[in-house]
Amino acid sequence: MLNILKDETERIERLFEKYPSRRSAMLPLLWMVQEKTGWVSQEAMEEVAEILAVTPAEVYEVVSFYTMFQQRPTGKTHIALCDTLACAICGTHEIAAYLEEKYGIEVKKVTKDGRFSLELVECIGACSMAPALLANEDLHGNLTPESLDQLIASCP
Amino acid sequence: MSITELERVLLPNIEKNETEWLSAYKAQGGYEVARKALGMTCEEMIQIVKDSGLRGRGGAGFPTGMKWSFLNKKDSPRYLCINADESEPGTCKDRPLMEQRPHTLLEGIICSCLALEVQSAYIYIRGEYYKAAKILNKAIEEAYEAGFLGENIFGVQGKKVDIVVHRGGGAYVCGEETALLTSLEGYRGYPKLKPPFPAVAGLYGKPTIINNVETIINIPFILKNGAEWFKKWVHEKTTGLRLYSVSGHVKRPGVYELPPTVTLKQLIFDICGGIRNDHELKWVIPGGSSVPWLLPHQIDVPLSHEGVAAAGSMLGSSAVMVMDHTVCPVWALANLSHFYQHESCGQCTPCREGTAWMFKIVQRIEDGHGTMADLDALYSIAGEGKPGSGMISGKSICALGDAAAWPVGSAIAQFRNEFEEHVRLGYCPYKNKRYWMANGRFVNEQFHPHKHH
Ligand SMILES: Cc1cc2nc3c(=O)[nH]c(=O)nc-3n(C[C@H](O)[C@H](O)[C@H](O)COP(=O)(O)O)c2cc1C
Ligand code: SF4
Ligand code: FES
Repeated sequence: MLNILKDETERIERLFEKYPSRRSAMLPLLWMVQEKTGWVSQEAMEEVAEILAVTPAEVYEVVSFYTMFQQRPTGKTHIALCDTLACAICGTHEIAAYLEEKYGIEVKKVTKDGRFSLELVECIGACSMAPALLANEDLHGNLTPESLDQLIASCP
Repeated sequence: MSITELERVLLPNIEKNETEWLSAYKAQGGYEVARKALGMTCEEMIQIVKDSGLRGRGGAGFPTGMKWSFLNKKDSPRYLCINADESEPGTCKDRPLMEQRPHTLLEGIICSCLALEVQSAYIYIRGEYYKAAKILNKAIEEAYEAGFLGENIFGVQGKKVDIVVHRGGGAYVCGEETALLTSLEGYRGYPKLKPPFPAVAGLYGKPTIINNVETIINIPFILKNGAEWFKKWVHEKTTGLRLYSVSGHVKRPGVYELPPTVTLKQLIFDICGGIRNDHELKWVIPGGSSVPWLLPHQIDVPLSHEGVAAAGSMLGSSAVMVMDHTVCPVWALANLSHFYQHESCGQCTPCREGTAWMFKIVQRIEDGHGTMADLDALYSIAGEGKPGSGMISGKSICALGDAAAWPVGSAIAQFRNEFEEHVRLGYCPYKNKRYWMANGRFVNEQFHPHKHH
């Protein structure tokens, strides 16, 4: 029984047309779920398993391999702050400290009001704009306290 | 030398950061090369690519024309996969290519598909590149509507090319070509032992060519202007312009399109304006996080595969990371070792255990709890930064194991005295000296949590 993906049958059919094997739709389906609900719940994994005719364990195996699939709910704006070398030497830790001290946004936590969550991640491919982060889907680079203030203010 | 004097082909307007959509691209003569390629034979096209000396831009620098000639054309269907995973730390040049020139990439894919007699191409793009994936999807839609993709492209009966954008889920190892294929098949991104090589048994067990975004985007320019034109820019066996991602402590970090004759020193001191705050240069990582480190006296070498190799490192993905004298090499190595132990897929014991040990030991030394025996242990695990040395390199399925070990071996070789100093002092002598905020604001490290605790 589909719930999360029940209105998506058309999109799912189009997805299957893109690959010679149904199994290839695994990551696209997981992305579809995460776009709709913000994370990938056990219920969602069971639905994906049903669609692909595989076991839920096989879906979990995939979900747990890829770091971008969230296995618990995030804040409305999920911040993925890069902590790999190029960013780390240009202020990642200062940015993290600033977010915590001024806004109470802590690593690996969701703020009480549910507005934000923060995660330190490995290189996000914006090294020449270090320090950089992703706020949901949007890339922000050359971060400063001022640009962080603007970013935070612009988030719902 | 100033950057404005240098010719640029791939990203002439990178500063503007605008997407070139179909109408603008067509007005510049876009898709004329693909139309021309329809009248050429596969052999002709592959020969031009071979003659141009084009080498893969993904890291290994393998000659593209030669790779193409290995594709087993007796089996079908065959596939082309574009590696847009761009996850080697320091590397950030495929993203502007895809965001600004999506149609040039699509034309490159169409030409490559014609040369390889492939009807189906996948662009495997890292999950973090939301914007680039959207732009590519929109460009693909435009190209289908214009009849440049799908059945009977450009009105030629029987010529078919389909392109699908496939998003990854956040895993460095999926940039490794065999892991990319397993991931695309819907599994964990586990690399596979070679042989068989993908050109014989790749995606869904069928012959497959995997090329980097920048490699493929060069194809229309080479077919249009010829092999000799591409070899205008040459140093030994490295030809063509190339994108260099520069990050770290230079005044003007960015993505620069340069000939391979420009030296690493010119790139840092002339083109990127030298070291920020007029600090001292401490060391350079010239080709992405996996390559051996270079000291300031080693950087007067051309940015070709051969030039950087002569200095004792590798050109890799041509991502240049620059560290000034405020960066502790032990701390930096702990940061990179953390990356590799996090990204090891865990299939091979030497890589899974070795990357975790290396990180633990380096972090222990950085924290002031290391011993001299730790240094020897690190050296025996990592080897001396050369293929085949140590306990990991050459003993695992894919090159991630090697990539994790090389920086460790070279860091100790280049900065042995500083590693020993950490052990002797019982603390990191750089603590309290860091002020790394982009705008030069001083923030004392002591007040802030270190990530690895
Ligand atoms: C651990 C690892 C990660 C890699 N990541 C990438 C990557 O992100 N992008 C890329 O183009 N090649 C990457 N490569 C290299 C690919 O395996 C492959 O050689 C390349 O895509 C071939 O394309 P090219 O010949 O056009 O360079 C990686 C290799 C290894 C071992
Ligand atoms: S070398 Fe490491 S990353 Fe590569 S297959 Fe083995 S365990 Fe996985
Ligand atoms: S190191 Fe931060 S984006 Fe690459």
